[in-house]
Amino acid sequence: MQVAIQGPWSPLFGRLTLDAIPYTNPILIATFAVAAVIGLVVVGAVLYYKKLGYLWREWLTSVDHKKIGVMYIILGLVMLFRGFADGLMIRTQQAIAIGPNSPGVMGAQHGFIPPFHFDQVYSAHGTIMILFAATPILTGLTNVVVPLQIGARDMAFPYMNALSLWLTTAGAILVMLSLFVGDFSAAGWVGLIPLTELPYSPGVGVDYWMWAIQISSIGTTLNAINMIVTIIKMRAPGMSWFRMPVFTWTTLSTNIIGLTAFPVLGAALALLTADRYFGAHFYTAGNGGNLMLYTNLFWIWGHPEVYFLVLPAFGIFSEIIPTFAEKPLFGYTTMVAATFAIAGISWAVWLHHFFTMAAGPDVNGFFSVATMLVGIPTGVKVFNWMFTLYRGRLTFTTPMLWALAGLFLLLLGGLTGMMLAIPAVNYTVHDSVFVIAHFHCMVLLIGAAMFAAVSYWWPKVFGFQLDEKNGLMFFWTFIAATIIVFIAMFALGFEGETRRLDYIYDPAWRPMLWTEEAGMLLYCVSIGYFIRMLYVSLRDRVPVPSDPWGTSRTLEFLTHSPVPFYNFAVTPQVNTRDELAWRRENGLNNVQPEAFEPIHMPSNSGIPFIIGMLSLGFGFGLIWRIWWLAGFALLGIIIAVIIRSFDKNLGYELSAEDVAAMERNLSSAGIAAEQPARTPLTEAEAH
Amino acid sequence: MRLKPFLALPALLALSCCNTGDYRLFHPLTQIAAVQWWATLFEVGIMSIVIVPVTILIAVFIWRYRKSANAAYDPTWSHSLVLEILVWGVPLVIVAICGVVSIRTTRQVDPYAPGILANTQAAKTPLDIDVITTDWQWLFIYPGQHIASVDELVIPEGRVAHFRLTSTSVVNTFFIPAVVPMIDIMPGMRTEDTFDAPKAGAYTGFSADFSGAGFSWMQFTTRIVSQADFDAWVAKAAASPRQLNYTAFTQFAQPTLNEGAKISYFANPSPGLFENVVGAAQAGVVYPVSDRETRSIADLDAGTAAQAPK
Repeated sequence: MQVAIQGPWSPLFGRLTLDAIPYTNPILIATFAVAAVIGLVVVGAVLYYKKLGYLWREWLTSVDHKKIGVMYIILGLVMLFRGFADGLMIRTQQAIAIGPNSPGVMGAQHGFIPPFHFDQVYSAHGTIMILFAATPILTGLTNVVVPLQIGARDMAFPYMNALSLWLTTAGAILVMLSLFVGDFSAAGWVGLIPLTELPYSPGVGVDYWMWAIQISSIGTTLNAINMIVTIIKMRAPGMSWFRMPVFTWTTLSTNIIGLTAFPVLGAALALLTADRYFGAHFYTAGNGGNLMLYTNLFWIWGHPEVYFLVLPAFGIFSEIIPTFAEKPLFGYTTMVAATFAIAGISWAVWLHHFFTMAAGPDVNGFFSVATMLVGIPTGVKVFNWMFTLYRGRLTFTTPMLWALAGLFLLLLGGLTGMMLAIPAVNYTVHDSVFVIAHFHCMVLLIGAAMFAAVSYWWPKVFGFQLDEKNGLMFFWTFIAATIIVFIAMFALGFEGETRRLDYIYDPAWRPMLWTEEAGMLLYCVSIGYFIRMLYVSLRDRVPVPSDPWGTSRTLEFLTHSPVPFYNFAVTPQVNTRDELAWRRENGLNNVQPEAFEPIHMPSNSGIPFIIGMLSLGFGFGLIWRIWWLAGFALLGIIIAVIIRSFDKNLGYELSAEDVAAMERNLSSAGIAAEQPARTPLTEAEAH
Repeated sequence: MRLKPFLALPALLALSCCNTGDYRLFHPLTQIAAVQWWATLFEVGIMSIVIVPVTILIAVFIWRYRKSANAAYDPTWSHSLVLEILVWGVPLVIVAICGVVSIRTTRQVDPYAPGILANTQAAKTPLDIDVITTDWQWLFIYPGQHIASVDELVIPEGRVAHFRLTSTSVVNTFFIPAVVPMIDIMPGMRTEDTFDAPKAGAYTGFSADFSGAGFSWMQFTTRIVSQADFDAWVAKAAASPRQLNYTAFTQFAQPTLNEGAKISYFANPSPGLFENVVGAAQAGVVYPVSDRETRSIADLDAGTAAQAPK
């Protein structure tokens, strides 16, 4: 049974009409123009330099974990930029629309964005930053680094890895499409219920939000399976559990969280889908529905998701701080224990997101104490990083500075988090900008870890250094902006300012809001330095040795920079924790293998990309209720899966001579190099 | 010594930056808000026992062990049983203390039956007020006084106010900073909240939970006044020509943006109106916001929307 929807519907175009194109909105027209120009330049450059074939063979169809990781990070950075633009619009609106006499332009009574549009902007900001920026960037980093850290050739399931990427990309494209075709959700990134139900959100916005998350979270779940299996099964000989780098440990715990939490989100959204598409009553206020069910389900995923993001960040700190302190991580075993303690507790704290939903004092008390328990292992981690610095020999490279700044953000975020864990305090600041400032401390800590990781592993992956001078300017401006914006925001929280206001009714808040806006402008400057850093690095391409930092401790810095596509010419034998540091101390870090052996590699496949794009069509069809499109796309996916199932491709083999040749000429195996076509193995050869 | 005034400068700047001079939550009015503020201060205090030294130590280590300083370097030290017991033990003790404080204060400020007011005389004879939120207005029904007010809450000094709250459409959160703990307001459900009103004052209340396009205009005036002023206010409201039965309510509850939160009154609300509204929501009555209305809240200015609920 299909529910009645507002507005016209046609079998051919569903709900899609010309009105869905926002050609009257100057902001969106400008955005579209910029996006179109960038798109044309990129496509034009690819065609002009005849790189379309290269792009298809070496990237879009790639099953190489490093390339997939890099594509994840590129996707995340593009979305990070979009999310920041949304943040800038939110802050600018709030800096203008203060008090009843404030000016209004472009159709807004106050400020420059009318409420309906503003609500989409902040909803998009949250959805994008959490699910389409932070998640892909961290997934990308674990993709690049973990197989190298454990001495593996690739992920356990290279094909599924590509599928994860393209499903996530399909979700991200849907979010971007909502800018130019229709609307995005105006009900918050959490999907405030029953605001997301048809009576209160009759448009396609909530559908865009729902399907974008649903499709991309399938990708994230598949990736979690892949990571867990890789870490359990693919470790190099000698890499016992307690020789694994802490980043690998945090990746394992984080993906156990991902595997258990993301299906809950899928189920929660599926029930909402039933409400919106079939007129069911899972979450409605009336007819036997229960809206509190959604809030619980969402946060049963939502809180583990926070740790899904923060644990890899902790892992990154645990790699970078020892490298630049030139000593081993303090308390390795406790660090691993603390990681799993945090992961374990993360399933038992979700209710603290809605202490005000009138659970009794006993229930609130339980979740309050459970939440505070997270503070213990987190405290342990901070202490351990601190003791790692003690009697070290510190060098302040960009990655190290980001990691140290992350520690301070964690302290501030931790303090305010412990405050929010007390219901009595929470009743005064819940849903205020104090909460926003708190979790931005946490997500900016994750952001700091991401920038730390990108600058730390960049030379490893690409074989040339990231420009340090612009990197430092990027760091300092970014941190200064963070302090300015979020200290002011904490202050406004104590004023009782609620989140999600498109109009500020109290003019007394103006100085603080303007302070925040100044911080946002400083963020813009920092983005300028970031782009310049990339530009200068790509222009100069200063080559680096296999260990660009000279003091790295883990296995990934043993192989060449850029990492050859087969990772290690000979699978390394692991002798101890911090293998590379041990080899360096014993003068073994430059030992070359005596002979090479053939390497079995997986063949590239276009099917993941095709399935991703069909998922995009499937989502788009469902959003606009173009049933034939959704039906054909789903059929296409099923056919693609069947074709793949009967595909007898067994991968190909690099001969020992090939490997030896590439080891002599390293650039021929690097990430940017184009590989010749290699014939897949026949069944007979494989046995 | 002469440096000291300058050291205070950043703090002063931060404080003067907000020219109201009063961070609202820093000045709790009610006993409940006072407990909440105390819990805030306590938490910051006890966490500072760890956070402040750790922050300072990290800063000191960063400075002292920089490579160019040639300080003591020990590349093997990575374990110490005593320290590891301390790093687990100290947070554990702090969390234990915070947990006890958390559970105790949660009971003291429990919105349904705050422990802090349990033994007071005023709590035994509370002033009952029913709160109904619509898209996007506040309706306060005073069953004992037989009046209802829109976007204005008036409480006589010295009384304890007890609220029952429900919503016609989406979820809101009831909040008056420095006065009352937040509580969610949900359609088809009833929540409760309580506060004491020790002395006269005027406050701004609002919804803390996003409820759609008119959310930013959803404030209400809160006044705590003397008993005589309260009686006069009740008389003024009772003189309103507008009566509030369920039919009138369904008109009132249509999506309406009350710009500037203009105050108005109803006389003689039907007894049981609150229960009717809860029951109607449970039976599936909604007050939909049309696609056109979500796009342009100009259409929602008071009085333009007047269709029957679906």
